[in-house]
Amino acid sequence: MKSFFRNFGYYLSETWKIIRLNLASNIVSVLGTALILFLFGLVMAGSGIGSRLVAMLNEEAEISAYFDEEVTVKEAQALVDYTEKLDGVRSARLVSEEEARDRMKEILGEEASILELFEDNPFEAYMEIRIYMDSMEAVMKRVQDLEGISYVRDNREVLDQVERLTGALRIMGLLMTLAVGFTTFIIISHMIRQGIYNNREQINTLRLLGAPNGFIGIPYVIAGLLLTIVGGALASLGISVLIVKAYSGMQGTLPFIPLPPRTELTGYINLLIISVSFLLGFFGSLFGLSSIRNDGSGR
Amino acid sequence: MIEARQVTLQYQDDTLALQDVNLSIKPGDLVYITGPSGSGKTSLLKLFMGIEYPTSGILTVMGQTVKKGETAGIRRLRRSIGPVFQEFKLIKGRTVMENVMTGMRFLGMRKKDIREAAAYALDRVGLGHKKTSLVENLSWGEAQRVAIARAVARKPSIILADEPTGNLDHDNAVNIMEILKSFRDSNTAVIITTHATHLIGQEADAMYIRIDNGHLTINRRA
Ligand SMILES: Nc1ncnc2c1ncn2[C@@H]1O[C@H](COP(=O)(O)OP(=O)(O)O)[C@@H](O)[C@H]1O
Ligand SMILES: [Mg+2]
Repeated sequence: MKSFFRNFGYYLSETWKIIRLNLASNIVSVLGTALILFLFGLVMAGSGIGSRLVAMLNEEAEISAYFDEEVTVKEAQALVDYTEKLDGVRSARLVSEEEARDRMKEILGEEASILELFEDNPFEAYMEIRIYMDSMEAVMKRVQDLEGISYVRDNREVLDQVERLTGALRIMGLLMTLAVGFTTFIIISHMIRQGIYNNREQINTLRLLGAPNGFIGIPYVIAGLLLTIVGGALASLGISVLIVKAYSGMQGTLPFIPLPPRTELTGYINLLIISVSFLLGFFGSLFGLSSIRNDGSGR
Repeated sequence: MIEARQVTLQYQDDTLALQDVNLSIKPGDLVYITGPSGSGKTSLLKLFMGIEYPTSGILTVMGQTVKKGETAGIRRLRRSIGPVFQEFKLIKGRTVMENVMTGMRFLGMRKKDIREAAAYALDRVGLGHKKTSLVENLSWGEAQRVAIARAVARKPSIILADEPTGNLDHDNAVNIMEILKSFRDSNTAVIITTHATHLIGQEADAMYIRIDNGHLTINRRA
């Protein structure tokens, strides 16, 4: 360790020479690594948003209960009050016909004018019940059996869909991680091998002078680390810009998707990309270094 | 320091480079190795620093047996050796000073000492004014002297100099011989191959090895 710091300046200047010797192909490798890590970050951001959505939907599990036609507003309110006290129910509320229409108006936005085509309000009053996810089944059954309730609808379909989507994203994330790992690993170890090959004479001389493998190899490991981390930094930058753009775009068009706070998401993705590139750079170069050993002469 | 018992070296292509080598070299010894080109001088030095292994017989250098499977020990042994290669083996793209310093960077020396030792060695071989030149811009004679500076700057226990005066004019050659021999005072074994017999001194205590076709004739006097 002491000799590592003593030789630090030497290692850095060697690292620069290694990188410079093959500058063009090293730049291409860095850009390739950056692109791969960028795609990786994208998928991870998607599955991060999805997981959060699922968590929120789970928490916010909600069912709607519709009344029989002859039920009066007063009776409906009584049903709401009763439901509210059931086990597993967080809250229950009566949504009037007018409120139901207003809500739809909001969702439709600019197209809300089609609602004007109806002379009578086409919506009916219903009971909105927010429940704990794990008591979904039980509550639904209880409410279904109540006198005056015609049918019950849950949001499980939406939840299922989001969950499926997130599941797919997660699998994609996993595959992506494997692909990223594998590809970056190959790129980096190849880069290091190339550097070692180009410097084989120098490496051989160092061995003849008795230099330990660590001394010979450290500049290559630093070079590999540096190049992957630069790739990672480029990818992080790209992702951050994209997320900022996407957030300001989505706020206009999809206001009801509960996105995680922007800085939290970018922080998480950047940390992920940087640590992944660090690990890959380190192990990729170590792997590439193993070719130092079997190049024959100099022993 | 170097002990060889019935050592032979046969290359992959069956060339029998050295036969039945028996010798014992002690700290502070001065050893001249002469013989025509292709007789086996370089091969003998290669054995001493573990670039080649004996095909048969036993060779130990500073307690390290030179044989297959001893890579780590041989690598360590080389740190105690100051090698001057016939073809120099300088590191291209680096300055003269950087080349000499690189030979010391992994010996546990302090930066300041490395710098001083390198500068001193370069002054002694008469290249104090070339410290910042790139080695590829040097003449053969200059490059040879850089190789010598790199070998001696690290204060080795054994100097293995393969035709160290091959590219030098007479004055420079005499100077280099004097520098190499001066290391005997610090108990370094100095081993020099040359086919320039006129440069060989008449030291009474030197060891003279004559190689012909892989056969050694050893004399304690010229
Ligand atoms: N790596 C090698 N493989 C096969 N033969 C070699 C090798 N190195 C040297 N030789 C042969 O071994 C003999 C001795 O060579 P060398 O030790 O270089 O002689 P010198 O240094 O005295 O000129 C020569 O015949 C040479 O051709
Ligand atoms: Mg030779």
